[in-house]
Amino acid sequence: MVWARFVAGRLLALVLTVLVGSVVVFLVMKSAPGDPAVAALGESARPELVAAFRAKHNLDVAWPLQYGRWLAGVMQGDFGLSLTVASDRKISGLIAARLPNTVFIGLMALVIAIFLSLIAGTIAALRRGKLGDTIATSLAALGISMPDFWLSYVLILVFALGLGLFPAYGFTAPGVSLTGAIYSGFLPALAVSAPLAAVFARTLRTSLLEAGNKDYVVAARSFGFRPAYIFVHWVFRNALIPYITIIGLQIRYILGGVVVIERIFGVSGIGSLMVDGAFARDYPVVQACAVVFLVIVLSVNLVVDIVCSLLDPKRTR
Amino acid sequence: MAGVLRSLWSNRTARTGLIIVGVFLVAISLGGALMPYSATDMDFVNLLTPPAWAHPFGTDSFGRDVLTRVLLGGRVSLAISVTGVALAAMIGIPAGLAAAWYGGWTDQLLMRFADLLFAFPSFVLALFLMVVLGFGVTNVILAIALVYVPIFARLSRNLALTVREEAYVQAARLMGQSTTRILGREILPNIMAPIMVQASISIAFGVIIEAGLSFLGLGVQPPTPSLGVIMADGREYFNQGPWVLTLAGLFISFGLLGLNLLGDGLRDLTDPKLRERTTS
Repeated sequence: MVWARFVAGRLLALVLTVLVGSVVVFLVMKSAPGDPAVAALGESARPELVAAFRAKHNLDVAWPLQYGRWLAGVMQGDFGLSLTVASDRKISGLIAARLPNTVFIGLMALVIAIFLSLIAGTIAALRRGKLGDTIATSLAALGISMPDFWLSYVLILVFALGLGLFPAYGFTAPGVSLTGAIYSGFLPALAVSAPLAAVFARTLRTSLLEAGNKDYVVAARSFGFRPAYIFVHWVFRNALIPYITIIGLQIRYILGGVVVIERIFGVSGIGSLMVDGAFARDYPVVQACAVVFLVIVLSVNLVVDIVCSLLDPKRTR
Repeated sequence: MAGVLRSLWSNRTARTGLIIVGVFLVAISLGGALMPYSATDMDFVNLLTPPAWAHPFGTDSFGRDVLTRVLLGGRVSLAISVTGVALAAMIGIPAGLAAAWYGGWTDQLLMRFADLLFAFPSFVLALFLMVVLGFGVTNVILAIALVYVPIFARLSRNLALTVREEAYVQAARLMGQSTTRILGREILPNIMAPIMVQASISIAFGVIIEAGLSFLGLGVQPPTPSLGVIMADGREYFNQGPWVLTLAGLFISFGLLGLNLLGDGLRDLTDPKLRERTTS
């Protein structure tokens, strides 16, 4: 019962946050200088055209009503029409077409980051203070210091232009060909994963070291269990909780990284849609993308919270 | 201050970071004056020449010396990031202290707002603000500030809560000191160390935000040579002259590596749990 109430409470908080967030996004967008109608149609547009444009895009009423209509639309999966990026196309259609690509690259980056960090973090903790630790820790420090978009170009230079192993530009949607998507998505995912792998590896190293100092590990050692057995059964298992928590918290960084990198590699995702919208001053598109990002981040956080509450019941209090 | 520097020097990570940051700062502050070129000198005989002794970072498509531009750009980018982070600290820390001190509704309201800002990917938040405000140096600063306000607010709130009930705070209260005085003179100095760690890491990420926005063409606009602008420029002729983008980025990574190592070392020193571990 306690648990059900905890989940219900968090779900309610999520809905409220999304609502307040969408109002804030909406109001900030409204406060942007310039008339969207003029921006889309040009300074010299005829007044009746401007009036028609306003009516079509729901701009001819007071803002609370605009918001109400927009929200009512969003509830039914309708984000309105694009102003300039893809004139008059439904934004929901654009998002539905592009979101799978973003999610695919993000998940691939996550898998790569987990793989790299498990190796680097474990080596660093096991060889603490020795060469292996120094190398792994330095690589992690470097990983969070490299701008991901720069790393993208270095990867393109080495693996695409130099060695010719991967394509430098373009992405095959996972719906078209799964192997094609993995192949063409590898470099962008690798670029997104570098700072993540660094953060994960550091967390894993710290929590492995902490778990290794626990009394039960000392006791196990004194019983004469083999070190490898102790490591797998007590140290590693207990180090996993903070590791999983940090993975969930990094969803923001994955999405933030994807925004820049999609454009570099020509991935037609929601991040590049937002950037295109930003360039073209397509307010409804930017607004829709911001809300979609908000919903994704909050939902992932909720799932992580629920998983952690299952692992550690104290958290539901 | 000398004591702080000495203990920083004794920590290997912090020392490495301090040296790198020092070299970086000296390079960007003196570099421009020492270089025989100016950031805008065009040399149409040496267009896109690869790195060589005369031009260690090569030249760009206008024959400008890339190293000179990168040194100047580093100054611009760092100044933008530091200003943005300072602004965030000036808004976020008082908000966090107020939330911790007054509790109740003030706390709820401020922290829920911080949560909301925190729920957006930082780059999305920055991008969003650039769309609303328009491009340019000032707005990049505001975007960086917006990203870090919730982080400073939340951090200083949580830290202030841990010292709020300390004896020296109670004493100041009993002596009838004003709230601003207690917050500024008693609480703030005692929570400053973790805030400095956060600031040093934030400045590093602030440079990445600036570079990312400008790289996409949504941030600082040419001819101001920020690192992001130089890299965006290098992207245009990446196939003919990959060194412009590559070396400019390497320069950023080097500076940020220093800042991050310095932050790590500072954290080691200020976290007593970690200190025990490193001495045991």
